[in-house]
Amino acid sequence: MAQLSVKTVESKPPLKRPTNKFTIFMKQIDLQLMVLPALALIILFSYVPMYGIMIAFQDYKVGNSFSSSPWVGFKHFAYFFNSPDFALVMKNTIIISLLKFCIGFPAPIILALMLNEVRRMRFKRIVQTVTYLPHFMSWVIIGGLVGSILATDNGSINMLLQKLNLINEPINFLSVPEYFKTILVSTNIWKEIGFGSIVYLAAIAGVDPSSYEAASIDGASRFKQIYLITLPSIMPVVSIFMILAIGNLLSAGFEDILVLAPNPALRDVSDVIDTYVIRVGVNNYRYSYATAVGLFKAVVSVGLLTMANVVAKRSGNSLW
Amino acid sequence: MKNKRKLVGSVFSTAMALSLVVGCASNNETKAPNEPAKDGNNKVEETAEAPKLYELGKEQLDITLFGNYAWYAATPKWGSEEITKYVQDTKKVTITEVPNGGNNVQKLNTMIASGELPDVIWGERGTDVERLREAGLLVPLDDYIDKYPNLKKWLDPMAANMLRSPDGKLYTFPNWYSNRPYGNAGWVVNKKIYNELGAPKLETTDDLYAYLKLVKDKYPKVVPFESDLAAEGQGIDQIFSAFKENNLSFTRFYAVPEGDKMVSIYKDQGFRESVVYAAKLFREKLMTQDAMTQTRDQVQEKLNNGKVAVYATSNPTVYAMQADAELRKTDPEAGYIMIMPIYKEGLDPSKIFPGTFNKLGWNSAVITTSAKDPEAVFAFLDYWTSPEAMTLQMFGLEGEDGYWNGLEADGVTPKFTEKVKTDPAGLTKLQGKMDPLMWVGNTVFVDDLKAEIQKTLAESERNWATYWQSEITWKTQGDATEFIDLLPNPETEEGIAFQRAKDIWLKVRAQTLYAKSDEEALAMLDKAHDDSMSAGFDKVLVKLAEKWHKNQEIMKGK
Repeated sequence: MAQLSVKTVESKPPLKRPTNKFTIFMKQIDLQLMVLPALALIILFSYVPMYGIMIAFQDYKVGNSFSSSPWVGFKHFAYFFNSPDFALVMKNTIIISLLKFCIGFPAPIILALMLNEVRRMRFKRIVQTVTYLPHFMSWVIIGGLVGSILATDNGSINMLLQKLNLINEPINFLSVPEYFKTILVSTNIWKEIGFGSIVYLAAIAGVDPSSYEAASIDGASRFKQIYLITLPSIMPVVSIFMILAIGNLLSAGFEDILVLAPNPALRDVSDVIDTYVIRVGVNNYRYSYATAVGLFKAVVSVGLLTMANVVAKRSGNSLW
Repeated sequence: MKNKRKLVGSVFSTAMALSLVVGCASNNETKAPNEPAKDGNNKVEETAEAPKLYELGKEQLDITLFGNYAWYAATPKWGSEEITKYVQDTKKVTITEVPNGGNNVQKLNTMIASGELPDVIWGERGTDVERLREAGLLVPLDDYIDKYPNLKKWLDPMAANMLRSPDGKLYTFPNWYSNRPYGNAGWVVNKKIYNELGAPKLETTDDLYAYLKLVKDKYPKVVPFESDLAAEGQGIDQIFSAFKENNLSFTRFYAVPEGDKMVSIYKDQGFRESVVYAAKLFREKLMTQDAMTQTRDQVQEKLNNGKVAVYATSNPTVYAMQADAELRKTDPEAGYIMIMPIYKEGLDPSKIFPGTFNKLGWNSAVITTSAKDPEAVFAFLDYWTSPEAMTLQMFGLEGEDGYWNGLEADGVTPKFTEKVKTDPAGLTKLQGKMDPLMWVGNTVFVDDLKAEIQKTLAESERNWATYWQSEITWKTQGDATEFIDLLPNPETEEGIAFQRAKDIWLKVRAQTLYAKSDEEALAMLDKAHDDSMSAGFDKVLVKLAEKWHKNQEIMKGK
């Protein structure tokens, strides 16, 4: 049953359909017109600016026009692949995004499942509000907050640990490369977990209550119900979000890393593609180079997205 | 009925889609006319040939200004307080800031790309200015300088020559230009702690190390050595200065002069010693452990609470002055004092420079081709650097209840009132408030006035910053004029190599601080040297030396 309710979204209505495409279009003209603004938005702000990609193959200088810049082929790509930073940047990007994916992706699902079991509505609402509030704070604020909490001189965490006699000397949390990824990933989860769980809570709310009743009559425990009813029911939503998350694997983060790793000593563990682009490319006015690196990332991302979609297709929950 | 609703829905959504398209199209149109800004130069020459001077106050003059620093904001807002209100009323000039949103580089990039530049860009000289000039976005000032009285009078002609761009023209209007030593870098000591510890000798790096250890023992809650934002080189640059004679802020180039050549800084004996020393302080917790991560607010909090024993940075006069005032409020014995620069035993203390100055000032304003009437903008800047305007900026409005009333016989020096003596705190506050608006400061004129005032005051009445400037910092800054504007253009091969070297530099400078042993720190420096060289830094060194010799020639008047 639960399967059914979700399936209806995708399954085609068993009506006699007109074969003429134009007739179909005209029949849905009201719906189609509503899509138009969204299409216009995407074309204007996502496709039209793409012509700027050509500067990745040029030596573009500020003040020149795109048409007057000399073409240099794959020079900037070659520079990036041969740069001593390439291996390090790619390594960090992949490690950080895999960590964020493996821990950060299931976290909101688990929170949603847990919240769903809470019977006291008041408590549930409070938890939801508290967990999704940080989402609305900008990274700059979070960076300042984390920076002062974890500081060595007068940082609250260090003071607490010292008062509890757990440590003698304050720990320099923000300067030890080994701690950086933990801080980054946990800050990310703290910030986004509540907001991420909203989608899953909505999906769970759509599950037919009669399946739970049937299951409990059959003697299924709460855990069994979660495992056998709730999870399979929200699986389509989960897999769509997973495909999108895989498409974003090369976006290991940007603002979060900029604000949490101001210390250049951390660069060996914190430098990812996006921070590299801004530091080496944009801030040094090497627009062509920045574009080339960004384009490389986009191409790989599209590849990953397609791959994930192919895999998901087998389970019938693909994006397209 | 249903159909009608359908129709309304469709019409509405179509209208929205159209409005989007139209909205964007008109945006594109407005941008287009700005593009041919490149041939703005011709326009400029036309206006420059007009023989008449632009008269301020004749008509309304609106100027937009962009401060090219992440920390900069042009506060107080123009016209929101009495001094700028006065200028607005009498000179009919209104300055509007284009805010940089804390990300000046990106904002400037966006403005260049969209062709919507402000009339004035204020910031560092050097590569940014050169880039704009090469793109034909700046107005040369040569024709105006001769016509207007003030910059011509106060700017040293040698300095003017050095400010010139490779095309022989002058584009920058310097700020705080001077022909005398000035600057604020140096070492500050917490007076109370120092006296309680028996005021030991604090001259050499060994003295300093012993003192910091003593502080750590006796005052476990106090930061022995505070570096301010070490990620920007604060504090650690001053430590470097203690280990090398005639050190003229060479950390800007990652290179030091040797004979008539420039060589990599990583092989410099003094630099290596200073890195080892800083790493030792850090390792033994004698230096703030937040050196690389803290914000200015965090530093200021420590200073204001007296939790710092020794403090070194490039601008302690400003920060320590605030903290000194804060501490004195509750305890007249507390506060901060400055000491003569620390030096390594065996070096000549008179050749130790914790900071540098150059005769060209610390930054500059440029006028862009987007300015409708560049000459009018120049006329304003020339007025703003004049004695009349400097007096306004430093001492407020004229009047019996103000800090000055009337002028001396020379027609420029203000007659100071008693209030200068009775309300020094108010004056400090006024100057602090106006500081962000002093884009074209006239150092020579202002310093003479300051010295004049100080002479009339008793020691206890003197302004903290001015006192220590005249006692210590001005005497101990090195003249780095011959080393200005050495950096290669960022788009050239050397420019790219230099950026790569900078990347390596920033990283290694931070990493060495966390080195677990002296050997590890030195090994990091060797690796940084090799990495820089393989990135093409050797070619950069040649370029740096070339530019340096060129500067020397201009200074000799060739």
